[in-house]
Amino acid sequence: MTNDGAISESIDQHFDPAIFAAGRGPRLRRQLGRNKLLLVGCAIILLSLFLAAFGPSIAPYDPTAATPEVAVPPPGLAEWPGLLLGSIRGTNAAPPHWLGTDQSGLDVFSRIISAPRTDMTISLSGAIISCALGSLLGLLAGFTRNRATELLMRVSDVLQSFPVFILAMILVTLSGRSIGNIVIALVMVYTPIFLRLTRAEVMGQVSRSYVEAARAAGNRPAVIALKHVLPNSMVPSLVQMSVTIGFAIILTAGLSFVGAGVRPPTPEWGLMISLGAPQLILGDWWPSVFPGLAMSVVVFGYAVVGHAFEARFE
Amino acid sequence: MGRFILHRLLIALLQLAGLTIAVFFIIRMLPADPVAQMVGLNASPEAHQQSAHMLGVDRTPLQQFANFLGVFSDTGKPGLLQGSLGTSWVTSQPIWGEIRHDLPITLQIVTYSLFVAFLIAVPLGLAAARKPGGVADRSALVWGLFAGAQPDYWWGLLFIYVFFFILNIAPAPMGQLDPLLDPPAAITGFLTIDALLAGRLDVWLSALSHLVLPVLTLVFVVSGAIVKMVRTNTLRALRSDYILYARACGLSDRIVARYALRAALTPAITLVGIFYSILLSAAVTIEVVFSLNGIGQFAVRSVLAIDYPAIQGVVLVVAIVSLFIYLLLDIVHAFLDPRVRT
Repeated sequence: MTNDGAISESIDQHFDPAIFAAGRGPRLRRQLGRNKLLLVGCAIILLSLFLAAFGPSIAPYDPTAATPEVAVPPPGLAEWPGLLLGSIRGTNAAPPHWLGTDQSGLDVFSRIISAPRTDMTISLSGAIISCALGSLLGLLAGFTRNRATELLMRVSDVLQSFPVFILAMILVTLSGRSIGNIVIALVMVYTPIFLRLTRAEVMGQVSRSYVEAARAAGNRPAVIALKHVLPNSMVPSLVQMSVTIGFAIILTAGLSFVGAGVRPPTPEWGLMISLGAPQLILGDWWPSVFPGLAMSVVVFGYAVVGHAFEARFE
Repeated sequence: MGRFILHRLLIALLQLAGLTIAVFFIIRMLPADPVAQMVGLNASPEAHQQSAHMLGVDRTPLQQFANFLGVFSDTGKPGLLQGSLGTSWVTSQPIWGEIRHDLPITLQIVTYSLFVAFLIAVPLGLAAARKPGGVADRSALVWGLFAGAQPDYWWGLLFIYVFFFILNIAPAPMGQLDPLLDPPAAITGFLTIDALLAGRLDVWLSALSHLVLPVLTLVFVVSGAIVKMVRTNTLRALRSDYILYARACGLSDRIVARYALRAALTPAITLVGIFYSILLSAAVTIEVVFSLNGIGQFAVRSVLAIDYPAIQGVVLVVAIVSLFIYLLLDIVHAFLDPRVRT
């Protein structure tokens, strides 16, 4: 899954390059209005970030406390308007289980909107740290070529030749299934990609005349690297980061799906899918289907925005 | 050509050596206690020590590595260099035996999935490239964005719910064969081939029907990326100078399309390797969903049980498969495109 960057050299014209022409409010709004897909993508990302911040606080039920109603199906569509009206007026006896409850009586809706706290924290920190670390190491490896950076590249080669999912599983299980360890595993898996991308870009930049000019003006190599070369080499990494966030969400949830991720009853999409799976075959579809739907939509949002970035910068 | 193959083979071997060393020491550096996992947390210190000695983890890491390789071994058992991956701590079976049984199951679904995905995705990509910005192109773009990154295990469950529970046209997601049928003798390990070799049409049909949903899931997940790749490569070829020249010479559209297709698909050959490893990785969760008992599920079991020799074995074998596929495709590519050989 991680090599997607290599195969997605897109030459699409579907997204107007001017979309991210920074800072011009009305123009940006016009572009977003014209490009419905990107608008949807941005809305999804904002919603996922909002839920990561406030999800657990606005959930009608405690996402980790069981209610006495076990395996209740979600209310039929016909009952929704009445329940909604009841919620607004405050006449419902108890908050409705909008998406039903699972096998242990946990409210599915509350858990789904609480899950981004776990999922988004892990995947965002994983992707951001990988991008920062990979870019800096890539800058180093592309700017100074010696034995140490050569060794760095070989180490990154070895990490990349591991099967991704199995490597992540080993790192998390053997170091303890905590959120911090999952983030470290993601960083180990994704940093080599950013390292390679930035290094290739830096190597293309160092022979440019602006670098020569900066050197002639008497700047120290570290200043040239950080102030001039790095900002000019970040584009591929930034495009890759949006893609990586999506993959990180799937990987995080996949780890808990096979039992190598966060522990129950943490509200987490992959864990919810996994806990609901045995019931799905017997017809109780809601505990598994809704969290997967949420994840599927969020990942799609990041893919759309990543694609727009890509089209903008090419 | 011979030198090219030799050179690539050497790089692959070096990579394998690096991987072997890395996996061996990484799993021992992490703080997990495999002995406590085997004897239980309440075991007496003596029992713990005895187990540690039996498993060989009371020796220095370097001696353990020597035992694993089979040089200067202090156990007298054969190691990697004698062709042995050791025995599993959990099942006490030789690891190579388990892997030899499980690997073909995974290779079978991955190979079928890739084949079907290409069969569907190549025409779609070509249709999309024919009229950039047209309806086919736009739908291919949205499809590629959507299916390019999706939780495959969830889609697998969804397909089970729809095709098994509601429509009842797919078999139960329990393994790769109807439990009432006895499997034919393993010759190749690939059930669909073994069934045909044994002349068992009933087994063959049952195996195929059990393959449909896992393959459908993997095709769904991987096809978006293939469509995108075919489209990009074909567009690039269509815009190149030699196609312009061919057009200017007055060649028919059909012949021009054939030139473009050849130029578009040759570089794509190496990308098949990437798709193969993507699918090998995705197969881990898919096997769990469908209880297929392939190499992916073996990996999950070994990692969760902190079974060091099994983890080492499975990482090594999966990496060898990936590297072998990459190598093979590189050679095919070099054969078709002489520029690569240098």
